[in-house]
Amino acid sequence: MSSNFVINARNLTLSYGDKEIIRDASFSVKKGEFVFITGPSGSGKSTLLKSLYGQIEPTEGSLIVGGLEMGGISNGKLQELRTHLGIIFQDYKLINEWTVKKNVVLPLMIAGYSIDVQETQAERLLKHVRLSEHKERYPLELSGGEQQRVGVARALAKNPFLILADEPTGNLDEYSSNVIWDLMENACEQLKTTVLVVTHKIPSIFSNPYRHFIIESKGVYEVR
Amino acid sequence: MKFVKYHLTFILPMMAILLGIEFFLVFDRATDSYRTQLQEGYSMFVVAKKPLELKDFKRLNSHISQSEEVDKEALAIQISKGVNQTNSKEILKALPYFYNVKLDSYMSSSELRSIKEDLEESDTIRRVETFGSSYTDSYKLFNFIQFTLKVFLGFMGLISFFLIIKQMEIWKYLHRERMQVMEIFGASLMLRSGVLFKTAVIDAIIATFVTSGVFLALKYYWAQESRIDILIQKQNLLFQSTDFLILLGISLFIVIISVYFVVFSNKD
Ligand SMILES: Nc1ncnc2c1ncn2[C@@H]1O[C@H](COP(=O)(O)OP(=O)(O)OP(=O)(O)O)[C@@H](O)[C@H]1O
Ligand SMILES: [Mg+2]
Repeated sequence: MSSNFVINARNLTLSYGDKEIIRDASFSVKKGEFVFITGPSGSGKSTLLKSLYGQIEPTEGSLIVGGLEMGGISNGKLQELRTHLGIIFQDYKLINEWTVKKNVVLPLMIAGYSIDVQETQAERLLKHVRLSEHKERYPLELSGGEQQRVGVARALAKNPFLILADEPTGNLDEYSSNVIWDLMENACEQLKTTVLVVTHKIPSIFSNPYRHFIIESKGVYEVR
Repeated sequence: MKFVKYHLTFILPMMAILLGIEFFLVFDRATDSYRTQLQEGYSMFVVAKKPLELKDFKRLNSHISQSEEVDKEALAIQISKGVNQTNSKEILKALPYFYNVKLDSYMSSSELRSIKEDLEESDTIRRVETFGSSYTDSYKLFNFIQFTLKVFLGFMGLISFFLIIKQMEIWKYLHRERMQVMEIFGASLMLRSGVLFKTAVIDAIIATFVTSGVFLALKYYWAQESRIDILIQKQNLLFQSTDFLILLGISLFIVIISVYFVVFSNKD
């Protein structure tokens, strides 16, 4: 267990059946680093994120996330790991039958926090993403940008050690995008959260140092 | 319409199972009381040379549970009518001893025959009469009806169980996105299937109440108006308060079984 690394990939190969998406990639990410991942459509950016939260397992090589080898990880260990991740999806993946507030506190609910804690945390998080007035609404009553902010609030709810975001500002207006970038930058700076963001365009407002990975022709390369 | 599709498709098969179980309970109780009646109404008639006690009968066959000597004085008086008083004493002395013998359980005709043979082996016993034939026939018919009913109810229960599983798979499909999202955030299987549990438990409770209601209605309204004597006499057999708990317990048990069946069967 190389403790310094939050993510450590050695000769990692990812595939769907016979179809290789990533081949023989090696990279590592340290605690508190902010990483942008870019690459052409279909190059395997979402696939790489999926492997990081255990949706797919490495075909070959080694992938260690938060000290856990993802190849052959047990259900229990994976469940435990996932409660410490903050995942943001391009298509939001909110639970439409639940109110905004309930969606936001899902990670707290899973961790078994009391209703009181959930309540106060929800207030705090919704204020951060500027959705306090909408807490009793349902996701489908919100705009795309608002829904994505709910998704971000949910990802931050339990102070994850690693945020994995897949095009979090995909087709949002500038206001919503900036709110989201701010939140992630803050989490990284103040809580030493490691952040991996897949995006097609690195935001110009970004002032802090960051790393930049490009995925292309099955490889993961770092731009320096 | 949405409610109907979402809930009734679960509640109805659940009710079918519960109705079946309640019918079974009622029928079982009715059979029990019928069996006791048959057993109590049934006796053998034994003619003996010497007085016999219950233990003597028991020694001959252990199924004998009671023996009762028939008072033959009245008989002697009848016979000695027209003959003078002293002769009645003589007749009384000459008469053999008569016993009504009862058995400890309901017997088939072949079992009766073997008891009869056992008794007749004794030198003291002259004759044994049984009156079983009409009882045996109705009892056989009763047993047959009970057997068919059980098969039918069992079959209905099985089909209903499959319908319940199907409905639960539909629920699982409807909630698959929610369950996937919860899984990605590390929710346990229990928590993920919570929505299935909750819906199913509520519907199971509804089914239990409706089923109990049906039987209470049968008990308090229909049984009275039916003018069927046996229903009126045995009205209390129709639904007992413990039945509610039995039905509730069974319906919740079915919920647990079917949720696990559906959640574990196809881990995709
Ligand atoms: N479940 C799957 N089964 C088989 N192939 C898949 C599956 N998911 C994705 N792929 C394929 O894997 C490749 C990489 O997909 P991925 O979603 O990782 O791309 P991406 O880099 O995220 O693209 P985009 O920028 O369009 O989101 C694509 O060719 C895609 O068709
Ligand atoms: Mg993608």
